[in-house]
Amino acid sequence: MAPASVSEMKRPPGDPAMSADEAVPADAMPAGAAADPDVALMLRVQGGDETAFQELFRTFSPRVLQYARRFVGSDAQAEEVTQDVFVQVFRFRHRYRPQSRLSTWVFTIATNLCLNELRRPERRLRVDIWDRRRDTEERREGPQLADPNAWTPEEGAATRELARQLEAAVTALPPKQRAALLLSRVDGLAYRDVADALGCTEGAVKALLFRATQSLKKTLREHL
Amino acid sequence: MRCRRAQQMMTTAVDGELEPRRRRALDAHVAACESCRRELAATERMLSVLEALPMEAVVAEGLEQATLRRVRLAAAEEEERARAKWWRAWLPVPAVALATAAVAVLAFGVLRYSTGVSGPSGVSQSPGSHQDRVARAPAAASTPSPTARAEAPKAVDRPNEPPSELTAAPDKFMNLHILRNLEKLEHFEAIQTTTLDDEPATPGGDAQPSNG
Repeated sequence: MAPASVSEMKRPPGDPAMSADEAVPADAMPAGAAADPDVALMLRVQGGDETAFQELFRTFSPRVLQYARRFVGSDAQAEEVTQDVFVQVFRFRHRYRPQSRLSTWVFTIATNLCLNELRRPERRLRVDIWDRRRDTEERREGPQLADPNAWTPEEGAATRELARQLEAAVTALPPKQRAALLLSRVDGLAYRDVADALGCTEGAVKALLFRATQSLKKTLREHL
Repeated sequence: MRCRRAQQMMTTAVDGELEPRRRRALDAHVAACESCRRELAATERMLSVLEALPMEAVVAEGLEQATLRRVRLAAAEEEERARAKWWRAWLPVPAVALATAAVAVLAFGVLRYSTGVSGPSGVSQSPGSHQDRVARAPAAASTPSPTARAEAPKAVDRPNEPPSELTAAPDKFMNLHILRNLEKLEHFEAIQTTTLDDEPATPGGDAQPSNG
């Protein structure tokens, strides 16, 4: 998949207008940033530490892959997007500013690449065998929940069905609503961070989330 | 507060992003409105299930390897670009040096040529030199006098004092490029009688002056 061009990408927060060659001055780092292990990791990547990049990949790729799966609705495309995300993270590593959370920056890139993927015309012609392959246990019984002990067995079965319906309904949302909804669930991103990632205002994020939840509730009315 | 407005605030309230003043207003409305209470409960349940969905996927070893391979390629490209940038930065230096050297050689050549031609060295004294010819030309065209011919070498000896012929008719002795190369021209004799302002007064009529 062709990576998004720099100009096409929304600018991640933290003054991304500067050139890729500019390095982050140490004294420009906010006090809390040095204590954030993600920021420290990214600073090592910026400093040319090869092992730090692998560490960064292992830290973020499970969440990025899952996010991309839900966003583009295909495992194969999600893997392509995930690769592209980390290549972009590496290419534009000098643009990251420790003033913003690393996850916000990474998911901004992921969101833009997912949106690009959805816009690709050949996407409509592609036959995804992943959906047939996965039409097994997970499809029949619904996705595994993060904390199955939170529900009784009866509640669990209903909740799993709801989760399965919910996964499908999220994939059917318009891309911007989907992005806002998924970003607000990922890594506890605050609305302000979601707004940064989508390049809009917090008010717009609230509106997107309202429309998204209304649409989901309408689809899942019988399960709620 | 109206039900529609209350519903608009529900997701924000469940996410804990609603300002305290609005949250109080919403709570007050929900306490009094049965349908909004049900709506809020549905929103809470849906978002709790959404948050309970796994947020992480299992990343295959192959995906990690493929990504790292692409990153290594990107790093190599970056290095190459940096090297090319270095060359581009230093390229003007030899170019300027070469250009300076070329100008210096040219200037030296011109200087040597001009001093060799107008100076008292043997070059200008040779019988075939163009200055001699130019000096002789008007003399031959007007009144050929032996004194004029004798004065021409004197003018060369004292370049600050032009010969009398030159003072009398300076336009005939203009140091034009064409005049320096007259001996190379095929119809030199015809050109000798030509001035810049006039049409060529060629004896044979077929010889055309060169425009240099």
